[in-house]
Amino acid sequence: MQAPAPSSFADISDVIAIFVLLTEFAMFRAPLLRSQLKLYAVQSLLVTVLAGFLATSHHISELYLLGAASFLLKVLAVPYVLTRFLERTEMSLVTGPSLGAASMTLIAIATSAFGFFTMDATKVGSTVLPTTALAISIAIVLVAFLLAIMRSDVVSQAIGFLSLENGVSIASLVVASGLPLIIDVAFLFDLLVAAVVFGLLMKAHHVRAKTLSTANLDRLKG
Amino acid sequence: MGNLNLSPVVVQIIQVLTILLGAPLVSGTISNISARLQGRRGPRVLQPYYDLIKLFQKETLAPEDSSFVFLLAPMVAFVCYLTVPLLIPVLTTFGLPLGYMGDILGGGFILALAGFSVALAGTETGAPYAQLGSSRAMTFGALIEPTVLMVVFAAGIITSTDLPYAMAATVRSSASEILRPAHVLAALAFFMVVLTDTGRIPVESHSGTLEFGMIDEGRTLEHSGPPFALLKWGSAMKQLILYTILIDVFVAPWGLASNTLLSSVMLAVLALLAKAIVLGVIFAVIDNSFSKLRLFKITEFLAAAFLLGTLSVLIFYLGGG
Amino acid sequence: MAIATTMVILAVIPLIVSVVSWFSVDRFAKFITIAAGVLSFVLAVILIPAVSKDGSASAGAFLFVDSLSMVFLIPISFLYAATSIFTAGYLHRPSSNVGAEYNKHFYAGINLFCWAMIVALMVNGLALVWVAVEVTTVVSALLVAIDGTDGATEAAWKYLLLASLGLGIALIATIFIYYAGSHVFGSSYSFSFTNLLAGSSKFPRQVVRLSFVLSVIGYGTKVGFFPVHTWLPDAHSEAPTPVSALLSGSLLSVSFYAILRFFQVAEQSVGKAFPRDVLLAFGLASLFIAALYLISQRDIKRLLAYSSIEHMGILAIGMSFAAPIAIFGVLLHVMSHALAKGGAFFGAGSLVRKFQTKDMARIRGGIGLLPLTGPMFMLSVLALSAMPPFGIFRSEFLIVMGGLQSQSDIAAVTLVVLVTLAFLGITYLATYTLIGPTTGTARNLTVGEPSYFIAAAAALCLLGLIVLGTHPPGELVTLINHAAMELEV
Repeated sequence: MQAPAPSSFADISDVIAIFVLLTEFAMFRAPLLRSQLKLYAVQSLLVTVLAGFLATSHHISELYLLGAASFLLKVLAVPYVLTRFLERTEMSLVTGPSLGAASMTLIAIATSAFGFFTMDATKVGSTVLPTTALAISIAIVLVAFLLAIMRSDVVSQAIGFLSLENGVSIASLVVASGLPLIIDVAFLFDLLVAAVVFGLLMKAHHVRAKTLSTANLDRLKG
Repeated sequence: MGNLNLSPVVVQIIQVLTILLGAPLVSGTISNISARLQGRRGPRVLQPYYDLIKLFQKETLAPEDSSFVFLLAPMVAFVCYLTVPLLIPVLTTFGLPLGYMGDILGGGFILALAGFSVALAGTETGAPYAQLGSSRAMTFGALIEPTVLMVVFAAGIITSTDLPYAMAATVRSSASEILRPAHVLAALAFFMVVLTDTGRIPVESHSGTLEFGMIDEGRTLEHSGPPFALLKWGSAMKQLILYTILIDVFVAPWGLASNTLLSSVMLAVLALLAKAIVLGVIFAVIDNSFSKLRLFKITEFLAAAFLLGTLSVLIFYLGGG
Repeated sequence: MAIATTMVILAVIPLIVSVVSWFSVDRFAKFITIAAGVLSFVLAVILIPAVSKDGSASAGAFLFVDSLSMVFLIPISFLYAATSIFTAGYLHRPSSNVGAEYNKHFYAGINLFCWAMIVALMVNGLALVWVAVEVTTVVSALLVAIDGTDGATEAAWKYLLLASLGLGIALIATIFIYYAGSHVFGSSYSFSFTNLLAGSSKFPRQVVRLSFVLSVIGYGTKVGFFPVHTWLPDAHSEAPTPVSALLSGSLLSVSFYAILRFFQVAEQSVGKAFPRDVLLAFGLASLFIAALYLISQRDIKRLLAYSSIEHMGILAIGMSFAAPIAIFGVLLHVMSHALAKGGAFFGAGSLVRKFQTKDMARIRGGIGLLPLTGPMFMLSVLALSAMPPFGIFRSEFLIVMGGLQSQSDIAAVTLVVLVTLAFLGITYLATYTLIGPTTGTARNLTVGEPSYFIAAAAALCLLGLIVLGTHPPGELVTLINHAAMELEV
């Protein structure tokens, strides 16, 4: 007896969601800050593709607009802004993650497994996208948290937040694809503003500390 | 002639012969294409055959202090590589008489035995580079093992069997089987396993002469003459076997013979070689577009493969597989 | 004036003023900022009768106020006015080398920050609230970093990162609530409060539970709930004092308002017990941690920051008491805390300006050197520690009474014990800085106020506190009552 395969539609959307998760893993490990930004752009592109795919298959015309907006802002604008900030700092390599490859991979796997099984337990279903995609999006969010917590440089931490938002985007495509377009667009512009401010503070940090590492951000305590 | 119905035993023999005789051809084609990608003319496609013939005519030399293992190991490995094609779907969609002798794990064990005996022969020599190669090969072999297991698990839970034939049949059954996330991830993980096990970039440079970077190649540095020929041939066969598993179990199990007619078996032989060469071209392109990883970064590559394998199993249990 | 027009004006004035300040001259920016602050407060007050009468008012599809948002809008616009007055004094430093550019940007930032907070309280729907709160985060993070010192940069980075990550969780909570709603309204529907609350009794419970917990963690990061409060003391102590006052008095409440919106939905969907238990757990933990840290502070602004965590804990505990009087107390507490914390930060800002340090070990005899703000700082600290006749005394009293009424004796007693502990810490330290002989270099300081704007701002806050504590205006009581009823089902 073999398990029946889900429909092709569910398959394709799951696979796209999984590739988003894989880019998240790749960001978690990427040694070059520049490549992290590129991975972020790729990830956003995948999210856009998912939105477009959903729009075509379910004939939700609003999602086309959302896809276009998300392409312009997340694939082009945000990476561009952050790349500009990074160019001026002329620093590409970070001090490296604080843990070895194996430990980080295991932690990432455990985290995403946790996300998978918790979402499975909540029995949240959707009419538009397979529930698996929701579980994957939660795993993306959790790995994004790891990225922001375990990497000790400002760029990774900013990317952690931005890619967390990508995870939430997928979740919202799954369970809230009917969310009014105006709200989605507001989210996106918010993200752009946040990216600019992240960039400004990165620059400020770099000017003060001459590094992108967060190692010296430990003066304030108590 | 074309509709001559062969006995399954004959097909089984053809199956082994295809791997045995086709392997050097595939290797030769890959190095030729690889050279062309680099702007060189490259060796002839049939060069590996000439190499083997030449090596078989040379005398056998063994290091002074080595034991019988040194000369026995190449034969053990070679026999192992001859055994594995019995177990996997090389030419047919249905199992041949010996096809159910072992499952996918059994095939894995036999490949591991081959690798082990070559490594053992490498340590026999006392030569530093051969020992270095052997110890590295065993280390990374151990690291890739969990990934292989995960891939096997994924294939196993998708089909509820552990037979490579069943996996191939499932994949053939519908397009959505190819697309299901568990399958895609397992296939990707296995692709990385193949990259590692065939000693390709980014793990190892296949045609380098720099001993420090060697893993698999390093083990055989001390061998000469017919045993070396067996090792080279074996390594080519291993490559083709892995390609065959990737193609016929995971990626493209089409063009296999569904009966024992001579014509369809011959067609299947051609289809397999063609698919293997296409896959080989992909590997050659990868070879030429990436740089080799530092030795200590290889673990990260293997960790990524493991990640894919694990995700594949997880996704399946999540119900989305 | 029509209600809708008033609302629109209130929602755009600070933004316009912010832009104008950025491009105008220093003195003009000061003037229009104060004008905008006062005008916002007046407009908010004008809205009270209409909202009390109809229960809510809206302008277009996006602007909406009901009693609950009014209860937050009043203190926040008041603090806007007070802070803009204080800022005029704060930026008046004759010996300083920071120029007019800095001042203009500062005024623009303050206006923009207050605009985002006012809008967060006036938008209709959880998603728009999220958008506005995220805007408050990025604007305030820039304001925290505006001085460009090592400490400010570090604090701003931590704040921006933690708050953004927290808001990421809040966004998930928002999306899950939307999903819960789609079971009742279909996949595409209006996300406005009224619409959402109309159907929330039929939402799937498991999803609402999950969503509520996520919202408390997410927005709780900005409220300063333990264990996601770690950015708060850093940001409050390193930010310029007007920004600290706004962060503490207004921003934390705005985030708490967002939690209350989730609370409304959760209460109708899963019943009273669950959301209350969650808030009780976070409230007690925050109050406990804050009380401990309050005892051992050396930095005067960190002291006030931990006091904010304490008061946010009190708010959460108060919400957990299932008694209308406790809810009334909580809403009154939001108002009085905004004023008390504003006053305290203004006083502390005056002390820091005088002594050129935030280290309380080196601030001595402040009451003698600062004839106006010294005593007023003392009074604000006493108000913060719930001394009569100030507003916080009344609100905390109501909260504890509600706790006893609702049979939550243990929680109520714990609340009293921890608040007393915090009282000891904060009063002891504040008294120490104000009274006691001046030592060291402080002996050379002259007696006098740095700026009368500062004194005026602090006085305004104290005045408001006394009004709230002794005789709150009838209209306001009605408004709070309505809001408390909105939170009680």
